[in-house]
Amino acid sequence: MSGEDPDSADEGRLSRPAAERPPYVESTIIMTTVRVIAPFVLTLGVFVMFHGASSAGGGFQGGVIAATTVVMLGFAFGIEPIAAHLRNEHLALLVFGGLGTFLAIGFGGYLVGGNFLQVSGYETLFHHGSKYSIELVEVGIGVVVSGVITGLFFLLGTGLDTAHDATEPDSEEDR
Amino acid sequence: MSLSTPVALVLLFMLGSALAAAALRDVVGSIVAFAGYSFGVAVLWAFLRAPDVALTEAAVGAGITTVLFLLTIARTTVSRSERFEGISLRSGLAVVAIVVTVGATVPALPPIGAAGTPVLDGGVSQYYLHNAYEQTGVTNVVTAVLVGYRGFDTLGEAAVVFAAGVAMLLVLRQEEFV
Repeated sequence: MSGEDPDSADEGRLSRPAAERPPYVESTIIMTTVRVIAPFVLTLGVFVMFHGASSAGGGFQGGVIAATTVVMLGFAFGIEPIAAHLRNEHLALLVFGGLGTFLAIGFGGYLVGGNFLQVSGYETLFHHGSKYSIELVEVGIGVVVSGVITGLFFLLGTGLDTAHDATEPDSEEDR
Repeated sequence: MSLSTPVALVLLFMLGSALAAAALRDVVGSIVAFAGYSFGVAVLWAFLRAPDVALTEAAVGAGITTVLFLLTIARTTVSRSERFEGISLRSGLAVVAIVVTVGATVPALPPIGAAGTPVLDGGVSQYYLHNAYEQTGVTNVVTAVLVGYRGFDTLGEAAVVFAAGVAMLLVLRQEEFV
């Protein structure tokens, strides 16, 4: 990559080496659009997550749509500033919390006199108990999915740059 | 099965974008064509009345996967080789062999919407359709099956996503891999 001539780059070919390519281009149009759209996308994601019990949707879809908000913000305002706000510990907390919710509902089935993950047992606690526990499970799945996707996006978007900054710009290819 | 015009158009669009994704040597163009193919699949699911699957396909296949592909390509491959290789004869033959093998199983499938298929007649699916609301209180039968009846499978899926997240943290954090 270091011996490559930047002038040979045609359009449609991202052949400039990563060191010379601007990592983030500030664009008023993209920033304004994302600022308007992001709340709606997050709302849609949360709606799909919560409303999966009554209409099409569920945790997996809703989690991905909610994580799209972070992706959009990353494209509009740069991945690194967004990633600086959401550290990996927060994302790990999200993912553990989601899986923990699922497992808690599962093991709670024993407490209400059923089996593992037997949501109908919650009906004895309160009305529509099984429905609410199913929705809680969906939200847990959504939190796991959105946490993992956000983490993957951050790692792919920033991981190389931090590694790149730590070493000489041209020694990257030698590793 | 007779194709309705919209479904035929979607299938044509999918075929075209799939061929474009395979044949295009421009990296970004190929990824965009692949996203178009995923979007076509999502629309097809919606036409076949599977909105849950359509939502998943649109969000994961057309949306996030494309973003991750673009990020990965922009960060790694493109700086080394600007274009994909053309289709070699050997990989073309392999694709033809796979298409013939999979295509040979298609006549065994019942036509879409045919009466007497296990989906309509089978005891399991009818049991779900009749009892899901009384037993789980959930009106979307897909969700009722996913969490209420097959909760253990779904727990496994969530665990797979979780394990994938942990694995990606471990692998991508290692600088010698990047």
